[in-house]
Amino acid sequence: MLDVKGLRKEYGELVAVRDLYFQLHPGDVFGFIGPNGAGKTTTIKMLATLLEPTAGTATLNGIDIVRQPEEVRPLLGYMPDFFGLYEGITVTEYLEFFAAAYRIPRAQRAAIIENVLELTDLTVKKDAYVETLSRGMQQRLCLAKSLVHDPILLLLDEPASGLDPRARIEIKELIRELGAMGKIVLVSSHILPELADFCNKIGIIEKGELLVWGVVDEIVQQMQANRILEIKPLGEPEPLIKRLEREAHVHGVETRNGSLYVHFAGGLEEQADLLASLIHDGYRIAAFREESLDLEDVFMQITKGEVS
Amino acid sequence: MKRWMENPLLRYQLFGFTVNRWKRQPLLYGVIAGGVGLTYLLVYQLVAFNQIPFAAALNLCLLVMCLVAPLMAYNLFSLEYEKQTWESLALTRLTAREILWGKLGAALARVGILTLLALPILLTTVELDIYIFDSRSGRIPTVLESTTNLYVLTAGMSLLFSWGALIVALGMWLSFYLKRTLSTASTLYAGQVFALALMPMLYLTFSTGETGNEFIGAITSYWEGFVWWIASLFTARVILYLNPFWAANELNAVLPSSYTWRDGGGSYTYSEGLIYLNWGFSQSITYLALALLFAGLTHRGLKHAWRK
Repeated sequence: MLDVKGLRKEYGELVAVRDLYFQLHPGDVFGFIGPNGAGKTTTIKMLATLLEPTAGTATLNGIDIVRQPEEVRPLLGYMPDFFGLYEGITVTEYLEFFAAAYRIPRAQRAAIIENVLELTDLTVKKDAYVETLSRGMQQRLCLAKSLVHDPILLLLDEPASGLDPRARIEIKELIRELGAMGKIVLVSSHILPELADFCNKIGIIEKGELLVWGVVDEIVQQMQANRILEIKPLGEPEPLIKRLEREAHVHGVETRNGSLYVHFAGGLEEQADLLASLIHDGYRIAAFREESLDLEDVFMQITKGEVS
Repeated sequence: MKRWMENPLLRYQLFGFTVNRWKRQPLLYGVIAGGVGLTYLLVYQLVAFNQIPFAAALNLCLLVMCLVAPLMAYNLFSLEYEKQTWESLALTRLTAREILWGKLGAALARVGILTLLALPILLTTVELDIYIFDSRSGRIPTVLESTTNLYVLTAGMSLLFSWGALIVALGMWLSFYLKRTLSTASTLYAGQVFALALMPMLYLTFSTGETGNEFIGAITSYWEGFVWWIASLFTARVILYLNPFWAANELNAVLPSSYTWRDGGGSYTYSEGLIYLNWGFSQSITYLALALLFAGLTHRGLKHAWRK
């Protein structure tokens, strides 16, 4: 389990990360969302033991990242947002290098490398030189390198940045698979739709402050206190608009592309009652649905677009 | 030792990319190697046939070392920063000492190879079994002459190796702190020009040619030589005495051709003073001590900056 307790980083007067608290369990895929400069990379670097926090700490399976960096490093895999690879060697040699650097016994290395290559779909490229790989493949190789020592926590900083759509999809699949393998995956991004697909938890950070964190669906529900109902009437919409404006739970009605968007403060019961009463009153309704929020809507509602 | 040789960084620096370069472009590297080999043979032939003095040959080898040694160290750490491979390396289980040994060990091995390449050239200038005749005392025993020549040869070789070791250790330290390949390379070359050419010229200009050599002839024991050497390190003379080219020139005075044999408790000579000073070896030990200092500073920096 990863337990982040009051993690803080200051650079002089600037507070880059402000007292973060969150917990992640095996199998959690945590999307760390925030605008550029919000403090995502700083947080990840602190968790990766590459930056020393000004205050607070985090523990990974009870091991303190501040006091015991050497003990925690074998338990984590880190993929930076900008990374390089040792050139002039093949993919297999590259992975052997890291397997040896993580002190994996020589006898086990070949099997582990084979597994990791298979997982990252790089088996066909095992004899290719590292610098000849495409950006997407290099990204996967970097991830493969982070997996050779079987870490329990994976810190992935913008893993899909600069990738073409196919490579993005492949990386997403891979991250989902890693979560299913029981690893804790912390993945940062400012591209929200790609996170929505595979994260079960998210944290939104702005100006170094974690504004909200938790299970994705719960956060979306919290943010959806004001529902928006899309109603598509048949015929003239004006009578229906007047009728809706008389409803107690309706705070406003907008018209777009022949549909009515109703700001509705009621719950599911009131929503069902509204539909029933409209039909009872003889309005002809072609479509009636609740417009659900996505991560982008949640993000826009929570953040103000400020950087630390 | 086995664990050291299994150091993946050492193997990568020594063989990894070099072997693959040969595999990938055998013709190109074959041509380069052929060119270097032919140049070497040509130099060897020139030295052997023209009976170049020992000091001149050693100076030539030192010049090559001054030019080549920085190339072995100028990017040891800076390239890791520039190519953004450093964070991945820092997170492995390699200790600061292993990282240091991996990088420095490979560079020292190359300096060692370069030194060994100088051996045949230097050997042609120092015959180990010659008979020298002196007008006063007749034939000087072969054993003594061989010993003297062997002394000069080994002192010359140790000067060459230790200067190379100092340059690579300094280069590694600069590369760690400057974090820029170009800055490190230019500092190393400019530093050598400053220390080996400009400083001695300034010293000789302002000291009106006083080199302290007159005191060397008065040294009558190894203990006196040791004390005098230590004392010299704290005077401006150190600019000359620690200059490998100066040291190489003075080694010529130890050779039998310029040797004045002491007969029956007569006067001690300049060449004997040099031997009592362990001339050549004293410089080498000082260079190695400085190399150790720079290696220690890099190790300390690694431990401190990366909590290794």
